[in-house]
Amino acid sequence: MTIRQRYWEDVQIGEEIPAMRFPLSIARLVMAAGANRDFNSIHHNSAYAQETGAPDMYANIIFLLGMWEKAAREFIGLSGTIRSVKDFRMKIFNTVGDTVVVKGYVSSKWQEGNESFVSIRIWSENSKGISVGPGQVVITLPTKAGLSDKSHEFWPGFSSPIPE
Amino acid sequence: MEDWKKDWQPMIRAIGKDFHEGVRQWGADPIERGAIRRFLEPLEFDCPLHYDQEAARANGYRDLVAPCSSLFTWLIPPYWEPGRTVFRSPDKNAPAAELPLLVVKTDLAPPTPYYFATNVEIDFFQPMTAGDRLCKVGDVLLSCIPKETRVGRGAFLVWETRVENQDGELVAVIRLETYHYFPHEHIAQKQM
Repeated sequence: MTIRQRYWEDVQIGEEIPAMRFPLSIARLVMAAGANRDFNSIHHNSAYAQETGAPDMYANIIFLLGMWEKAAREFIGLSGTIRSVKDFRMKIFNTVGDTVVVKGYVSSKWQEGNESFVSIRIWSENSKGISVGPGQVVITLPTKAGLSDKSHEFWPGFSSPIPE
Repeated sequence: MEDWKKDWQPMIRAIGKDFHEGVRQWGADPIERGAIRRFLEPLEFDCPLHYDQEAARANGYRDLVAPCSSLFTWLIPPYWEPGRTVFRSPDKNAPAAELPLLVVKTDLAPPTPYYFATNVEIDFFQPMTAGDRLCKVGDVLLSCIPKETRVGRGAFLVWETRVENQDGELVAVIRLETYHYFPHEHIAQKQM
């Protein structure tokens, strides 16, 4: 997959990000557990998950966050940076045998100092409806108007106040 | 207040408290290239920043960087260490003896057997670069709301944690909500 670089000037409010599908098989959830190191049995063992009151084994927060990141990254390109995730509320279990679809659109864009931000409104759906979010991923993008494409130059100037 | 909610009063009174003030809780391992690559696999996440060193450097990073969503992975402590026994039962559904995940253990809360994450907000301040080692610093309880849900009776807890790297640089701030509960079946058995 070639990720196209996007520039801040080209982003339009309302522009949709490409939807991404994640079918959830047992194999995938087992691989995810091994990869993200969350070995809580609710995420890879149906009987255990049902004992806890869940309908079946289900995707964990790390895997679900990864779905949002993959969708955002394909939209923003390699020179964009991800600065925050908000309202990542998990409302419905994303259980094995279902397919999670991540969707979103550009909700706002602004510039602060020498950085250019875009907010993406983003959510996950499964067969039962919206399962995660809607939330927000705030990203930075390079501009065509003279700022460097080098991501590291955007990090030091991140303008959200660092909590004390 | 319903009787069972009163069991959560000690936690409600502890809102604002940092349960690990000044304590650095390190993840099991440094951020490793192979582990970054394996993180990509279940997501089928084809982003060269995470597997192509030249691409990462061309975009201003000093080395491969880990996906932002892998933050928790680098914070999880070891499941096993010398002297510890993790697997004690042949029951096919037996979990590992302890799950060293990111839940704050405290005697102030009822001994709920189960929990799951319900909401998270993360602010990122530094990239997570191969070779870095991350730690959690502090766990501040922001809220405790007892509630009965479809799965059981428990409480929603929100914790704020700072994440730093080996150089003491702030990498991220996490606000994580988890629901800790007794399942309805457990409650019914207790009442019999």
